[in-house]
Amino acid sequence: MKLLTCPMNGPRNIDEFQSFGPVRARPDPNATADGDWSRHLFRAENRKGIVVEWWRHVPSNYFFLAERDLVSNEIIRTFDASELRDHP
Amino acid sequence: MAAGTATRIHPFMPGGAADGTRLVSGAVVLSDLTGKPRFGLKGGGSADWLAAQGIPLPAVNRIGEHRAMRVLRLGNEDILLLAEDAAETLADVKAIWQAAPAPKGYSSWREEGWAWMRLSGPRLAEAMCSLCALDLRSQKFGADYIAQTRVGHIEAVTFRSPAGFDILFDITASAYFARAVAAVAGHTA
Repeated sequence: MKLLTCPMNGPRNIDEFQSFGPVRARPDPNATADGDWSRHLFRAENRKGIVVEWWRHVPSNYFFLAERDLVSNEIIRTFDASELRDHP
Repeated sequence: MAAGTATRIHPFMPGGAADGTRLVSGAVVLSDLTGKPRFGLKGGGSADWLAAQGIPLPAVNRIGEHRAMRVLRLGNEDILLLAEDAAETLADVKAIWQAAPAPKGYSSWREEGWAWMRLSGPRLAEAMCSLCALDLRSQKFGADYIAQTRVGHIEAVTFRSPAGFDILFDITASAYFARAVAAVAGHTA
């Protein structure tokens, strides 16, 4: 069983979680060139390295963030979203 | 019953969706508390409103007590009051909440959306062991702890009650859950 540590509920079977994809920049639609805007809407990044992703613990409906290594698939750490808000 | 209020039919009642599904008894006992009073608040303002009523709020995933009601903190702004033996106290809180101005959170309709069942009996520990992957032994999982996890393969909230374990889950899975428990009880008997 693969485990993921939820910041609110503790270590759980990764089956209990749902992934919501990487945290993305939120460009201002009024101040972004068309080319950049379409890239933002239609293209997904596909790089190596560490990504910060949104995850949800389904039974408690709790959304949080996880840092994951895209090559080894290792989850480096999980943390509450307020941490990103307070220290962007 | 207040005038104009329809009688609720719970799943295991005659005419309910799980009518005819057996609730195990014997070494493992499953009882249905779905008809018992409870009230949940969720969303911004819930915690502040309850605290302003003098209801002490425990930490997230812990259980507190207030006037014979159990206070379950399922999230910062997700709180559930269980009033198995305190129907009048709960009705008072509910009436005050309904009349109160916002912000006061939103009703999470736990009395309609969730089933409330209790597992007990001499083979309780073995049964919970097969139903839930968490370590629920008393030295690891105290009387005031809440686990939001899977029980019997469905998303559920579970915690200790004096008689055993209480389990809250989506009411539409009632028959499924009763069958899952019956299957486990068959193996642990």
